Amino acid sequence: MLKPSLDDLIKSSVRSILKNKGRTILTSLGIIIGVTSVILLTSIGNGLKGYISDQFESLGSNTIFIAPGKIFDDKGGFSNSSGPSSRFIFTTFSQSDVTDLKRALRGSTIVPMSIGIVNIKSSKTTKTNVTIVGSTYQYASSANYQPSGGNGRSFTKEEEDKKSDVIVLGYSLANDLFPNGSALNKKIVVKSKNMKIIGILDKKGGSFGGPDVDQYAFTPLGNVFDFNGTQNINQILIKTPSKDLVPQVKIEAKNAMLKKFNKDAFTVFDSSQLLSSINTIIGTLTVALAGIAAISLVVGGIGIMNIMLVTVSERTREIGLRKAIGAYPSAILIQFLIEAIILSSIGGFIGILLGSLGASAINNFFPARVTISSILIAFGVSALVGIIFGIAPARRASRLSPIEALRYE
Amino acid sequence: MIKSSLSKNNSEAVLELKDIFKTYTSGNTTFNALDGVSLKIKKGEFVSITGPSGSGKSTLMHVVGLLDNPTSGQVLLEGRDISKLKEEQLAKIRNVTLGFVFQQFNLLAKTSSLENVMLPLLYSDVPKNKRKSLALEMLAKVGLIDKLKNTPAQLSGGQQQRVAIARALVNNPKIILADEPTGNLDSKSGKDVMELFHQLNRKEGRNIVLVTHDMDLAREADRIIIIKDGKINISHA
Repeated sequence: MLKPSLDDLIKSSVRSILKNKGRTILTSLGIIIGVTSVILLTSIGNGLKGYISDQFESLGSNTIFIAPGKIFDDKGGFSNSSGPSSRFIFTTFSQSDVTDLKRALRGSTIVPMSIGIVNIKSSKTTKTNVTIVGSTYQYASSANYQPSGGNGRSFTKEEEDKKSDVIVLGYSLANDLFPNGSALNKKIVVKSKNMKIIGILDKKGGSFGGPDVDQYAFTPLGNVFDFNGTQNINQILIKTPSKDLVPQVKIEAKNAMLKKFNKDAFTVFDSSQLLSSINTIIGTLTVALAGIAAISLVVGGIGIMNIMLVTVSERTREIGLRKAIGAYPSAILIQFLIEAIILSSIGGFIGILLGSLGASAINNFFPARVTISSILIAFGVSALVGIIFGIAPARRASRLSPIEALRYE
Repeated sequence: MIKSSLSKNNSEAVLELKDIFKTYTSGNTTFNALDGVSLKIKKGEFVSITGPSGSGKSTLMHVVGLLDNPTSGQVLLEGRDISKLKEEQLAKIRNVTLGFVFQQFNLLAKTSSLENVMLPLLYSDVPKNKRKSLALEMLAKVGLIDKLKNTPAQLSGGQQQRVAIARALVNNPKIILADEPTGNLDSKSGKDVMELFHQLNRKEGRNIVLVTHDMDLAREADRIIIIKDGKINISHA
């Protein structure tokens, strides 16, 4: 049985820590700063992950994409291969590929997308280099880009078939073109073609580093073919009837494409795959940042070791006395170890508090999420720092000879 | 001179040292702090160890107090050879069989008398719920029951030493080892402390081993052991 009992040890450690309140706070400062920054950085990483997940959720989990080039490497991360198979050399798809896919994947909706860069002129101003997405009437519902009530509508099958002069604008693009008043039903000129704005999308917000959909324009596929002067299709979106069919349809789509293309010339992926790749990157980034922040934990740990060494030499007589009246070496070791752990845990506790407060403040303008697991890890790490940096002073204390210690002035 | 009356006829040795050497080596020279010391302390005896400084009396005290291992020789505590015991076992014996009283009192600062007295119980088998009452009993015995909440800084030297004696008594030890217990006290407080030792010896039959350089104090014991140059010079009643 442990003697003294754990609660006796904790009681006496807490008492001796409280005897030096100022010193305790100063000593814990390193740990406080370390834990605060670890909590803040992981909360930002987690917030970012959650935010991106939400963005993908809005796309729907039954969406498959076919894009040119090799996007993923074999490990599930993004490919960075160079050479002929690089994703930077773009394959393009054609209408006949779309027709073949439609034939191969009955039951799923196949939505081709052609992307162009155009200048748009309104009565007020001109926007250059606007990304315009040409697609079918099913695009709006498949990609969840539909104007909400009062903001018009997306284009119809008839308009698509007739290549009507209709256009849907992203939220901020519409605002840029018509700073005063609504852009709805106004006329604009796209590459010398007069077009009518039939819908304005809700504000989506740009994903971090990703394209800002709010600056996009959407129109029937044929119009973009005309703007680009080619019949090239840049991306194909497949909407399966249900989420369960995604793996099967992915294989079927891939097989259909392989009949015409080299395996590195295109990528078939679904949103979960993209999401997990992005999450891997953010996760790595978060760990790296937290690792840098953790350096201050080491510095804090050294501070604790320093103060524990001071404590041991200050209390040499006490250690000698305790040994003389029956404390065995491991009792002294545990006593000082517990003091170090309590010191660093106090720092950890305050750090978690400050970090959580900071994260909720940051959350007002940037997604930040404090998770239970990051709190537990932060607390565990700070206690571990106490053990690692407390063991040397505690061992020194336990090895003091009682005679020398009692003689110490 | 006060003679102990309890168990006087009992010649059974509580503590016996047989041919103890304590040798320090520095370079090529060796120095025997204890040079073949043999002695017996009988049950209930009040013994003083005295001698000039550097004579080896402190070393002898440390060996008797199981704080230091002799280089050679046997230490028998109640007939049991403890020379070869491990640190943990020695700590246990120090805890339950020996009580220490130091010149510097060695009370924990900013800690109440009561908790100072309870300190040895932390390392003992005494159940938690009995510790406080035991400590209170000891404080009453040394006449400081009204000071149980005072910290050492709030007590006089004599009071501090009495708290230290209460602490030495709390585990009901057979032997009390006192190293210059009156060295830091005024003569009145010193007398009180000595009177306390006599009472503990006479009324409770506890062995007292008093280490002092003060011959007058040493003479208060049943037996004086004079040590010089690591050897027992005279041991007489």
